[in-house]
Amino acid sequence: MVTVEIVNGPISFFSNDDSREQNGAELIFNGRVRATEHGKNITALEYEQYEGMAEVELTQLAKATCEKFPIHDLYCKHRIGRVVVGETSLHVVIWSKHRKEGLDAMTWFITELKKRIPIWKWAILEDGSKIPSECSHE
Amino acid sequence: MIKVTIKCFSQVKYALGTNELILELDSGTTTSKLEQLVREMAEGKLDDISLRVAVNQKYVPNEVELQDGDEVAFIPPVQGG
Repeated sequence: MVTVEIVNGPISFFSNDDSREQNGAELIFNGRVRATEHGKNITALEYEQYEGMAEVELTQLAKATCEKFPIHDLYCKHRIGRVVVGETSLHVVIWSKHRKEGLDAMTWFITELKKRIPIWKWAILEDGSKIPSECSHE
Repeated sequence: MIKVTIKCFSQVKYALGTNELILELDSGTTTSKLEQLVREMAEGKLDDISLRVAVNQKYVPNEVELQDGDEVAFIPPVQGG
């Protein structure tokens, strides 16, 4: 099962679930906003999405990940709007029988997310100005 | 003539200075022709930026002929995560 959500505000992390008796691995990834972008100090990133398309593409990617790897469930929340330095912008949880398939799935999912989901970052500099982020690491 | 809406994001928004454009184009205009027009409107600011095309919120890998009422986005490199 996949659960995908794009939220404009703080992310509520997936709550602990001790009933998952068939899942030997529970992998959690939190992407956080760094204090520097290409050597410049920033105070925040502002995430922009192509509304509608971003959530559809993200859901399709989550489903494709569950088909490509033998994992049980994938939960993803991506934040848009202003995210200050240190806060979480991306929260992903994957459950699988063993760790390897979960780790492989997590790597692939995040790599593909950074290639195809129409979400962009604007860097908020210390003087308050806003410029498109130059950061597009895969 | 056809009327299309262009959604602008990230570097495209920065280069054109707007979130959205509505253009009247000749019938038969293709995505490639419209991309060329958008790049000309950006006056060089998009020259080094690769753009993917989405029509009606779906990526289109190849050139397509636009239809009246289409929503088009020229998508610069994405940066989620």
